[in-house]
Amino acid sequence: MENINDVEILIVEDNPNDAEMALRALKKNNLANNVLVVEDGEEALDFIFTKGKYSGKEKDSRPKIILLDLKLPKVDGLEVLREVKADEETKIIPVVILTSSKEESDLVESYKLGVNSYIVKPVDFDKFVSAVRDLGLYWLLLNQRPY
Amino acid sequence: MKYRIILILMFLFVITFDSFAHQAEIDKKNTLTSDTITIGSEPDYPPYCMVDENGNAVGFSVDLFKAAAAAVDLKVNIKIGVWSKIKRDLAEGRLDALPLVGRTPEREEIFDFTMPYLSMHGAVFVREGAKGINSVEDLKNKEIAVMEGDNAEEFVRRENISNKIFTTKTFEEAFRNLASGQYDAVITHRVMGLHLLDKMGLDSVEPLDFQLQNFRQDFCFAVQEGDSALLSRLNEGLSIIIANDTYEKIRLKWFGPTVKASITAEDVARIAIYVFIPLFLIMSVIWIIVLRREVKRRTRSLEEEISRHKNTLDQLRKQKLLLNEMEKISKVGGWEYDVQTGNINWTEGMYNIYALKRDEYDPSDYKKNTDFYYPGYKNQIIQAFTDTLKTGKPYELLAKLKSADNVEKWVRLRGLPEIENGKPVRVYGNLLDVTEMKLINDEIKERGERINLLLNSTAEGIYGIDLEGRCTFCNASALELLGFDNENQVIGKNMHALVHHSMADGSVHPESECKICQAFNAGKGTHADDEVMWKSDGTSFRAEYFSYPIRQNGEIIGCVVTFWDITQRKEAEEELKNLKDSLEKQVKERTAELRDKVEKLNKSQRAMLYMVEDLNSITAELQEERRKLELSNKELEAFAYSVSHDLRAPLRAINGFSGFLMEDYADKLDEEGKRLLSVIRQNADKMDALIADILNLSRISRAEMSLEEVNMYTLAKSKYDEIATEEEKQSFEFNISKLPPAVGDENLLGQLWQNLIGNALKYSSKSENKRIEIGYRENNDEVIYYIKDEGAGFNPKYKDKLFGVFQRLHKDNEFEGTGVGLAVVQRIVHRHGGEIRAEGEVNKGAAFYFSIPRAKKS
Repeated sequence: MENINDVEILIVEDNPNDAEMALRALKKNNLANNVLVVEDGEEALDFIFTKGKYSGKEKDSRPKIILLDLKLPKVDGLEVLREVKADEETKIIPVVILTSSKEESDLVESYKLGVNSYIVKPVDFDKFVSAVRDLGLYWLLLNQRPY
Repeated sequence: MKYRIILILMFLFVITFDSFAHQAEIDKKNTLTSDTITIGSEPDYPPYCMVDENGNAVGFSVDLFKAAAAAVDLKVNIKIGVWSKIKRDLAEGRLDALPLVGRTPEREEIFDFTMPYLSMHGAVFVREGAKGINSVEDLKNKEIAVMEGDNAEEFVRRENISNKIFTTKTFEEAFRNLASGQYDAVITHRVMGLHLLDKMGLDSVEPLDFQLQNFRQDFCFAVQEGDSALLSRLNEGLSIIIANDTYEKIRLKWFGPTVKASITAEDVARIAIYVFIPLFLIMSVIWIIVLRREVKRRTRSLEEEISRHKNTLDQLRKQKLLLNEMEKISKVGGWEYDVQTGNINWTEGMYNIYALKRDEYDPSDYKKNTDFYYPGYKNQIIQAFTDTLKTGKPYELLAKLKSADNVEKWVRLRGLPEIENGKPVRVYGNLLDVTEMKLINDEIKERGERINLLLNSTAEGIYGIDLEGRCTFCNASALELLGFDNENQVIGKNMHALVHHSMADGSVHPESECKICQAFNAGKGTHADDEVMWKSDGTSFRAEYFSYPIRQNGEIIGCVVTFWDITQRKEAEEELKNLKDSLEKQVKERTAELRDKVEKLNKSQRAMLYMVEDLNSITAELQEERRKLELSNKELEAFAYSVSHDLRAPLRAINGFSGFLMEDYADKLDEEGKRLLSVIRQNADKMDALIADILNLSRISRAEMSLEEVNMYTLAKSKYDEIATEEEKQSFEFNISKLPPAVGDENLLGQLWQNLIGNALKYSSKSENKRIEIGYRENNDEVIYYIKDEGAGFNPKYKDKLFGVFQRLHKDNEFEGTGVGLAVVQRIVHRHGGEIRAEGEVNKGAAFYFSIPRAKKS
């Protein structure tokens, strides 16, 4: 990652294996450029709202999509989602929940908070790759930022 | 003088006649018992009757009367009154006599007169020495003068004395004219004429001696008609005073010597008579005295007899008056019938009743008399009368008649025979007008009947008793209640002894304590309802009575007792009392029972309270348990969460990285290495599937259900369409009935169909008959849905194991699966309150039946 201002995809994932698999899946879909992986919710919020260790980042620079795991250290995924969707500036960023569970409470809560999509991380990597591909195509290619 | 003699002669005659008349006649009048009589005198008839300055009656007639009365030892009281009054007083008996009454035929009907003591005669006055007039007839062709309107004029014209009649304004004028040579004669009253001539001083006119018979007025004493005793005494008195010159003295006192007394030569013949007259007079007086003595003696004896007769007659008269009066008052009449002559006599009362007049009706035909009666009565009367004549028995009848003036009357006729020698010779009797009595009787009778009706119509027994306690009346109800047939059995009996003698227990009930008798003893009403009355048959009944005093004119004369039989009432009361007592007893018993029950209930309540306490503690325990359960559920949730996240992550890593190994290092691995890697990946996949199923099962158990009406047909059909591959849809025969809807959670029910249909597809995949049938059956309160296939089936021995988690009846290499699907199905069915069961045989297919209860109607 050369420039934090060019981050297009933000992956919030504490499990490095999953993160690696996600990156590999994105790479397989040629979406691996400008991807930033952060390991906890706090870091994710720091990046998104340009604070903490990311306070040097340009304020206007925002990821085009956030892939968010729910089970995160420090600040969990739902809290991150709530803050992103509560801010007028950031609420337009599409957020896709990446989770290993279809637990109802998570799902319902996520949709209440305004999540844009939801992907259960499949054990079968090929399925995961194709799911990521679908997401990437949709959000990065078709769904341009409104500005 | 000659005048006097004539008078005396007249008197003598009258007295004699009167005395004989006395003897012959039985006078109706009372004898004069009192020697004092009262007469009336006029105040203004001078000189005959008038009053002096002291108001005493004086005058010629008064003096004459006094003198006459004194001569026969009568004392006289004089009352002064005008003529009309004293005349009426005499007629009505308030006066005994009047001294001056002109005798006229009319007055003779109401008075008896003494002989006249004064007569005013008419006389013919002529010039002195005139000749040729010696009688009335000689006046025929003479010129006669009279005063206009005088009696004399009426007289001369009435008697047609002359055809040459002259009238003057006054007699004075007539006399003057006569003296001066006019007329032949003047006619007027002698005394009056003489008075007038004297007054005028005319000597040349004188009256002729002959009298004008029809031109005179006699004045007398008058007594009540029939008072002959007084009349005769007054006549006697008059005779005496005329005889003893008292008359003359009185006459002289009042009139003076106005009558011409000079004796002329022509009177010599008359004077000669005077010699005989005194002689005759003396003899007459002697004779009179002798006669009078004899007369007096006989008169006395006669008077005694007359007096007796008079008394008798008087009594008879009184009785007759009384009878008339009585007959008028009592409306009764008497009659008699002479058998021999057939004469019938009626009293006034008879005429009164028939409204007849005595002189217009002759009652001698007795059959005619009965015509007044109504026919039925008429025959009865004739019959009774005839019977009496035959048998001599009296009769008495009540009959109705119509009197002559058309008035209906009720009369009572009585007839009594007078028997002589065994034969009726006379029948007499009376007739009593009883109309009013009959009306009153009828009314009394009617009232009596009404009262009787009233008395006998009341249900209460009513009887009356007098002060001795004897029954005076008794109504029908009383007789009936007391068991008597008729009132004769009780009237007059002592009621206490008869019906009230004993108390209910048979002990004697003394009359002194009897409340009925207290009504008149104490004078107030009494009442009792706890005593008995005794009937004629010796039985008694319980009676209630009121006894009230009867008052007549404020005095208690007995009492009236009203009573009735209250046996039934008393029995009813007693029954009621018994009922009440037994009810009270029952109430007491019930109350006691209730009290026991209440106590038991209280105990039960206490037990309940303990139970509630227990329940509360159990509830608390349950709540605790539930809390624990909720806690464990949360733990389970946390577990499931961690399983889904934490357990799957390594699996993903195993699978993912072994895949990367295959991708990146395939050329460095031999076949065995590649196979081993794929085994790792397969197992990782399978574990992932297991974890997913467990999470699914857990989620279904915990998921909140949203109940709604679910269209089971479209749900099942859409699930089939969703699950079955195109290939399967080609090869399978899928029959689904029009399933009724179910109330449930659509997601869960979709999962249920999905699992069941999936199973059917899966286990039929190797069978020849690929057929799935979905249908239903309905019960009252639930719908049983089923799904049948003709696939591999199962051994019924293990059918209970089918629904266990991870229980599988097939090997993985036969049919893939985790053994969670049917567990999920069972859980869903249970969560909807239904049941599920399975039927099947190996290789002959399987059938699953599950029930969903109908929604309870609200």
